[in-house]
Amino acid sequence: MTEIKHHAYLFDATRCIDCRACMVACSVENNIEMDKTRIWVAGLGITGQYPDLQRGTMVYHCMHCEHPDCMSACPVGAYTKAEDGPVTYNPDLCIGCRYCMNACPFGVPHFDYDKGIIEGAFIDKCTFCPQRIYEGQEPACVQTCPTDALEYGDRDELIKIAHERIAAHPDRYIDHVYGEKENGGTSYLILSHVPFSELGLPDLPETPVNEVSEKVMEMTIPFALGWGAVLTAVTAGVALHDNKKKAAANKKAETKK
Amino acid sequence: MKLNLTIQPRFRLNFSPLVWILLTLMGIAFVVAMIRYAYGIGPVSDLSNSYPWGFWISFDLFTGVAISSGGFLMAGLVYIFRVKEFEPLLRPSVLTAFLGYIMVAVALLVDLGHPDRIWYMMIHWNHTSVLLEIGICVMSYLTVLAIEFAPVVLERFPKLHKIAHFIHKFIMPFVILGVALSTLHQSSLGSLLLIQPAKLHPLWWTPILPIMFFTSAISIGLAMIILESSLSSRYFKRGLETHLLEKLARALPVMLVIYGLLKFGELAYSGELGYLFTSGGMSLLFWAEILISIIVPTIWFSIKKNRQSANGLLAGAIIVLLGMILNRFNVSWFAVKHPDPLFYMPTFMSNVKYFPTLPEVAVSIGIFSAGILAFGLAAKYLPVFEAERETEETHHSVRGLKPVPTSADD
Repeated sequence: MTEIKHHAYLFDATRCIDCRACMVACSVENNIEMDKTRIWVAGLGITGQYPDLQRGTMVYHCMHCEHPDCMSACPVGAYTKAEDGPVTYNPDLCIGCRYCMNACPFGVPHFDYDKGIIEGAFIDKCTFCPQRIYEGQEPACVQTCPTDALEYGDRDELIKIAHERIAAHPDRYIDHVYGEKENGGTSYLILSHVPFSELGLPDLPETPVNEVSEKVMEMTIPFALGWGAVLTAVTAGVALHDNKKKAAANKKAETKK
Repeated sequence: MKLNLTIQPRFRLNFSPLVWILLTLMGIAFVVAMIRYAYGIGPVSDLSNSYPWGFWISFDLFTGVAISSGGFLMAGLVYIFRVKEFEPLLRPSVLTAFLGYIMVAVALLVDLGHPDRIWYMMIHWNHTSVLLEIGICVMSYLTVLAIEFAPVVLERFPKLHKIAHFIHKFIMPFVILGVALSTLHQSSLGSLLLIQPAKLHPLWWTPILPIMFFTSAISIGLAMIILESSLSSRYFKRGLETHLLEKLARALPVMLVIYGLLKFGELAYSGELGYLFTSGGMSLLFWAEILISIIVPTIWFSIKKNRQSANGLLAGAIIVLLGMILNRFNVSWFAVKHPDPLFYMPTFMSNVKYFPTLPEVAVSIGIFSAGILAFGLAAKYLPVFEAERETEETHHSVRGLKPVPTSADD
């Protein structure tokens, strides 16, 4: 295997057979309860008219965005984006506000709604199996996939492979690699034979959804300082004007006497 | 031993029916909160992975902060612009803001997954997070409001008048800080939704959400001052400052029209006017909001007769508040679309329709009841509504601002 500079997944919807072994592998590897999996598979059923029948399956987990919205939203900085790809979550900082869940356009982070404050309710999401990838192994879901629907490798290389595959079988694929540009790029790339919206993926622009919000936040401190200065100036101005008026009134009263 | 049944109880709770109702509602909320702390948010609410934020955020945070905006308006008007005739309205509005923000903080302690870690916001800063700004602003503004309101409590005790004087001497920096924090914070509640361009309906999502929130917060603040003065004058049978409220009511149509122009102007600018008629239920919701929050109250308060009668003022204020609360619910809940539940949600996310449960609403109602009770107690036992005028000549504080009465209790 070549050296991996930027860890990424490639999912090929045409290869997935809906066996869900990845879900089991993930839960076993990361010790997650089965009903709280970090990866989930949705079958779209069989579509089309005979003899052109199709079936589609989609494997969802964290998209490991290049500009993660969860990380942008988290007030206490519980999320980190590693330079080489993975987006990870630190439960020790989490205050449980669930703003990351609102921010993520893919609806990835999920929360322990069944835990009280003694057990502690946390956010959970795919971690990219750091315990495996930094030891030269594939993530658990990828390793277990029997049809190579899930692949793992360097992002640039996977994008190249994806485009080559589309070029080799233009009749089989939609000519688009989802995640190459969506939301500013993601490290989970998707190839499909059915429109991506049918796989339940949102139609996103090439700029990350946190763009406007981050710009506004950048302006906040200068605005606050400026506004504070304006208010102080107005206060002083009004006070000065008021005192002058009062002095004038006093003078008038005195001269009258 | 024979019981003496004629003995009088030494201690008797003698509350009015309203107080009993409020206490009961608070008790229910307390029980629900305890269940939530023991077993999690899931058992008491309908919140889920598809709907992480619901009634608590829309009502307690968005509405709660909005209706607390009267405090900074009056503080700004009386202290910064020295429009002293509004002084009688200052203390009640600061009290409302103070209680409103405490209610927001208490509600967040129920909604947060780790309420014990709320102070993490003070030490772990993520500069790109709007929620951090809101957290910092709430905490600082609560402190400022406590300082602004402290003299009212201190004046109650003759021995503490010196401290009240001392606070008055240095009140100006806090007033300026309070107004600045409020501006930031009212608008940043709008910024909170900027991160959802893919989820919030385009009729509501706009880059100028913070400006819209601030503009509407001014109208809400004005309406709230009218409402609280009207209600408390009815309940405590004291006089109503109709001439002052009339002036506030005159400003309302202006603010509402500016807000309306912003709203439609932005839609026209971004070429989204089409959504006004083509989005089905969302278009309907938008028009309902515009009708109740802008059109009806603008007409209502443009009529002089309505502004000058106690009933007219109260009714108009209620219309404004209903419309603006609908706006806050729309942007934070009704118009937010989460990822397509049909394919995207795994089994554990099966709860894809959100409707608040009774216990969930009970928590909010209980906290709100506590706020009303606290307002009533403060109005009854603290110099909130009176004691400002009579000592004006005898006791000017250094800057010639609000006098502190020293002889009231002597």
